[in-house]
Amino acid sequence: MIQLKTLLTCIDNSGASIVECVNVLKKKRPATIGDRIVVVVQKQRAATSEGSSGTALANKVRRGDIRHAVVVRVKKELQRADGTVVRFGDNACVLVNKSGDPIGTRMNGVVGQELRGKQWSKILSLAPVNV
Amino acid sequence: MAALPTMRPLGCLRSLWNAPDMIPSQITRRCLSTVYSQRPKRVPLPQGVPEQFLSQLPTRMRPENAPKPIKVFNPPPSARKACTDPVAKVTESQLETLDPKGERKALFDYRRNPRSVRPGDIVRVTFKNGDPFNGVVLSIKLRGIDTSFLLRNELTRVAVEMSVKVFNPNIQSVEIVQRAQRKIRRARLYYMRSRKHDRRSVENIANAYVRQKKAFMGAGSRK
Repeated sequence: MIQLKTLLTCIDNSGASIVECVNVLKKKRPATIGDRIVVVVQKQRAATSEGSSGTALANKVRRGDIRHAVVVRVKKELQRADGTVVRFGDNACVLVNKSGDPIGTRMNGVVGQELRGKQWSKILSLAPVNV
Repeated sequence: MAALPTMRPLGCLRSLWNAPDMIPSQITRRCLSTVYSQRPKRVPLPQGVPEQFLSQLPTRMRPENAPKPIKVFNPPPSARKACTDPVAKVTESQLETLDPKGERKALFDYRRNPRSVRPGDIVRVTFKNGDPFNGVVLSIKLRGIDTSFLLRNELTRVAVEMSVKVFNPNIQSVEIVQRAQRKIRRARLYYMRSRKHDRRSVENIANAYVRQKKAFMGAGSRK
């Protein structure tokens, strides 16, 4: 249930750590896993946390940036076609650019399998675990 | 009554002219309305009217135009007696196809079967399509064909809960990785969601079990 003002954690290495949803795209209802949303970066990660290896890579986005994102985890339980229900401990997203490619190059954290059905396999392949 | 119209200069003349005419008519009307007369009773047609007189009757009164009796059909036989508990029947038939040996049912019937999965156990579910899922059993909902169990685990430091239907044909196997260490006094362990009681990740325990199982199976096959 991601809607206006929802705070999500950003789990990629684009530089954002906490983002706020300002719009749900292509939908009149709250967003769930696999939905595209518009977010504002509220908190950015400390640049040093990205490591000395890629300082140029760190923090592609800054606080106050408006970006598109894809929801990858939701607290609201989600029922699948075979009757299993999945619920995550938090709301999380991954920033993407206008054409739908992820801005970050790495992801940390589980993502929902619903991304596969919604043609986000690029994100799914970046994720370490999917449930 | 007559006093009022006379106050008007010209209207008085008209009222005088009309007055004698009106008063008697009102009296007669009153007399008519107060006379009570019973409604005349309908005279039934005499029974044996000769046929040559029937043509004199109005058409609706003739015997051939009398109202026909409405045909009443008996209700169909009730299905209630044939099948007293249809829901149980459907459940039974579904279980027959999904769980012919009754193993799954026994595995989760924690009220009767002492060897079944119980809340607090760590369980590994293998799916036919997709990755296996490990977790602590928080609750088992016994609901006939909709029986399900709720697993909780922590993956990459994020809590994940999954409710799985027991008779889901996508499930390949359900294994008990570890029994609850202490006696659990509740049927629903939702308190394990709170930070104080959270088991956190059980992935290590499950992986150790898988390794052990593999070693055991491998040793068995070599001999």
